[in-house]
Amino acid sequence: MRSLRTILAAAVAGALILALAACGSSSSSGSSSSSSASSSGAIPAGVQTPTDESLTGGKKGGTLNVEQNEDYEHLDPGQSYFSLDYDITDATQRSLYSYKPNTFSQATPDMAEGEPTISDDNKLITIKIRKGVHFSPPVNREVTAADEVYALDRIANPNVANPYYLGYLESVEGMKAAKGGPVAGVKATDKYTLQIKLTEPQAGIVVASLVLPFSAPVPEEYAKKFDAKKPSEYVNYMVATGPYMLKADSSGKILGTGYQPGKSATLIRNPNWNASTDFRPAYLDQINIAIGGDANVIGRQVLEGSHMVQTDTPASPVLKLAFQQHRSQLQISPGSGSRYIAINNSNGPFTNVNLRKAFWAATDREALDKLRGGKLVTDIQTHFLWTGIPGFEEAGGYPGPKVDYNEHPQGDMAVAEKYLKLAGYPSGKYTGSETLQVVGDSSPPANNVAEATNETLKTLGFKTKLNLVEHTVMYSKYCGVVSEKIDVCPNVGWVADFGDPQAVLDVPFNGELIVKNGTNSNWGLVNHPKINAAMKAASKVVGEKARGEAWAKIDRELVEEAVVVPYEWGKQPNIESKDVAGVGQLWNTGTWDLSYTSLK
Amino acid sequence: MSVSAAEIFPGGTGGLDVIEASEEIAARSPLQLFSLDIRKDRIAMVSLAFVVFLVIVAFAAPLIVKLLGLPGPYVQNLNLTDEFGSPLGPSGAHPFGVDQLGEDVMARVIYGTRVSLEVGVVGTAIASVIGVSFGIVAGFYRGWVDTLLSRTVDVVLSIPVLLLGLGIGAACAVRGCLGGTISPGTSVIIFLIALVNWTYIFRIVRGLVLSLREREFVDASRALGASNARIMFREILPNLVAPVIVYATLLIPLNILLEASLSFLGVGVRPPTASWGQMIAAATPIFNTAWWYMAFPGIALLLTVLAFNLLGDGLRDALNPRTAR
Repeated sequence: MRSLRTILAAAVAGALILALAACGSSSSSGSSSSSSASSSGAIPAGVQTPTDESLTGGKKGGTLNVEQNEDYEHLDPGQSYFSLDYDITDATQRSLYSYKPNTFSQATPDMAEGEPTISDDNKLITIKIRKGVHFSPPVNREVTAADEVYALDRIANPNVANPYYLGYLESVEGMKAAKGGPVAGVKATDKYTLQIKLTEPQAGIVVASLVLPFSAPVPEEYAKKFDAKKPSEYVNYMVATGPYMLKADSSGKILGTGYQPGKSATLIRNPNWNASTDFRPAYLDQINIAIGGDANVIGRQVLEGSHMVQTDTPASPVLKLAFQQHRSQLQISPGSGSRYIAINNSNGPFTNVNLRKAFWAATDREALDKLRGGKLVTDIQTHFLWTGIPGFEEAGGYPGPKVDYNEHPQGDMAVAEKYLKLAGYPSGKYTGSETLQVVGDSSPPANNVAEATNETLKTLGFKTKLNLVEHTVMYSKYCGVVSEKIDVCPNVGWVADFGDPQAVLDVPFNGELIVKNGTNSNWGLVNHPKINAAMKAASKVVGEKARGEAWAKIDRELVEEAVVVPYEWGKQPNIESKDVAGVGQLWNTGTWDLSYTSLK
Repeated sequence: MSVSAAEIFPGGTGGLDVIEASEEIAARSPLQLFSLDIRKDRIAMVSLAFVVFLVIVAFAAPLIVKLLGLPGPYVQNLNLTDEFGSPLGPSGAHPFGVDQLGEDVMARVIYGTRVSLEVGVVGTAIASVIGVSFGIVAGFYRGWVDTLLSRTVDVVLSIPVLLLGLGIGAACAVRGCLGGTISPGTSVIIFLIALVNWTYIFRIVRGLVLSLREREFVDASRALGASNARIMFREILPNLVAPVIVYATLLIPLNILLEASLSFLGVGVRPPTASWGQMIAAATPIFNTAWWYMAFPGIALLLTVLAFNLLGDGLRDALNPRTAR
């Protein structure tokens, strides 16, 4: 029998929807009264950026509360590669070289005492280790070159399973065959001297990669027993060389004390850290990190609370709120990677370069950037190297190479038709019968980019099947699997591991590095022999300027081949509470640098 | 003291007329009784009118969108978003506002009706046919047939349908499963609905048939030499129509909600097809700044489910006087 309950329940539900709707209402005009963020890399007035932030004079002491939606992936310096992990490794570990917050290409000697000495044949690297740096408790002793040797040995240990070391260290003698034991080419010639011998003249890329956390020293006598476990348990007991350490119990155990997965992490000062050996000011006494929570809620708490920063990317409504009402609490870090539409260069219709150019020409890159948050957090991508990376200007700077399919970021159907005709489709529309597999990320805003891309393909005449799957599934099961032969992946992107052009272009676009059995990061299956050969030659070039020029030339060739459709150079937004003097960094994705941030 | 008829019936002789007229009792068929009852139920009639309206909207969606001067549901226009990519709210040109791609929300809500009704009605119809067929057979034959079918129902009822949907979505997302036969979309949702819901109808029908098969009209039919098939489908089945209609009407809104849930979880209807559940999911992260994107598909879903529920209640009351208020 029907009762009034159904009606009442429905009425209450309806009222709730409307009430909630009303409480979240904003101006429907949508056109912000605030000034628009300018394009071409400029940061809007009133918004901070790492290049103009003071690195000195911060107030000492106090506790900072960090809020983040995401958890860490790998905190072991031998494993970490996720940008969020770097927030911890930067503050707790000292790599041989490091980036200060205001630079992305000028590395500063950190555990190294000075610049490396490189032999004339580019096959021998000698690095002097800084004296007077000590490990945190329970190890407590001084760091020596032997600790650097063990750090480099262990990344080849299958139990540590560093996923990318061969990409940069393959030329180190014995590294490719190493399984955790001593690597023949890595030696301590005396207490403070590290020597790295190469089989190929690739000193440039090897030295550049020594900014990564894997070059932070690890004490063998302490870590070896943890590294013998599969997987290594060193992460639960690791010691620090930086100004901070993860809180540990009396046995040195971090798990459950200083780090609770999915919940929290606590950084306290390293009692053995000696400020005179380090360039980091390390103002704060303690950093409490809360993990999880709704990104919308976190962002609002940070903007309206005190002593807080958010270390992952704020949600889009929060960003809008920050820009319109809390602009002084917003910081934008340019050069935080690129996003592009990967198109299959090795299979299907896009093996035809003219079809790739037609797709590039038709894509409304301005619209795609708007879907990702607009000009405040994006710049229209016109080629592949981004600002801060050597070779960016030589490759065309912000305007990019002057080719007709790159001229109009709003998309140009006339140019697209021209290339479709050149590809053998006289009507100016694609008339092939196959259905393109388009695989995108199901989470916003990526899903919207995928839908917009799918619409562009349809406009060009392609038949498509759009599938949206989880972000990790997109990479691990489809776009990163060669045998899947996905035609279009609209949501892939790249963040350089360090400020070297090879770190930007080599893995995603070098056909020699396509991983046929495993997770492949050349998502467009770009494999052009001429470009592969040019990359091999450029990898041997030494010196920032020379390397920049060599890789800029490759960048222009990638544009000539229209290997993918680039649309976004990212700018990382960071937010802080009013009473926090946050210092952002430029390297990697560009989040807050906890070793420079202080309270007001 | 004597009194006149006018004193007994102050309204005059009309009262006597009523008594006389009521003495001529007209025979009414069950259908006529049902028709009279349902017409008296104003809420059910309003709900029926809304359901009819929904059916018209679903069938005539392109025409309605055109008449209202709205862009098509898949027309993207990012000029209708602000500099942060946030969609613009309701306006004269877009009464329900637009979404992040600049697509007209009203047009998508109108087209979303198609998906909801298709899934709700088709899924329920398939479930009803299966449930009624097996229910009659199980109730009529009893014994091992009943045991086999009833245990099968128990097994099917233990399948967690949402998890199954999520599993299909994850495993069959791009290439499909079984050579592409199974891939996420409307057909899989209808399959899931039929898979789960026939069991409820089976149980109701089986119970009724166990009772009906002992009634005199079945004995009479058997005495006249009717076959089992004839008894089941010509004698018993007509007696099941009313409860099955009522239950099916109540299942439709549940199935619409199931479609919305699966689409919300990303394993239902594939984009760019408009679905209310999918729209609500897409609106969730920007709810604070674009309420209209969640509110209008949410209201459409709410009203549709409510209308079917109230109509189902009305049908039940009209078809079964014992449950009437």
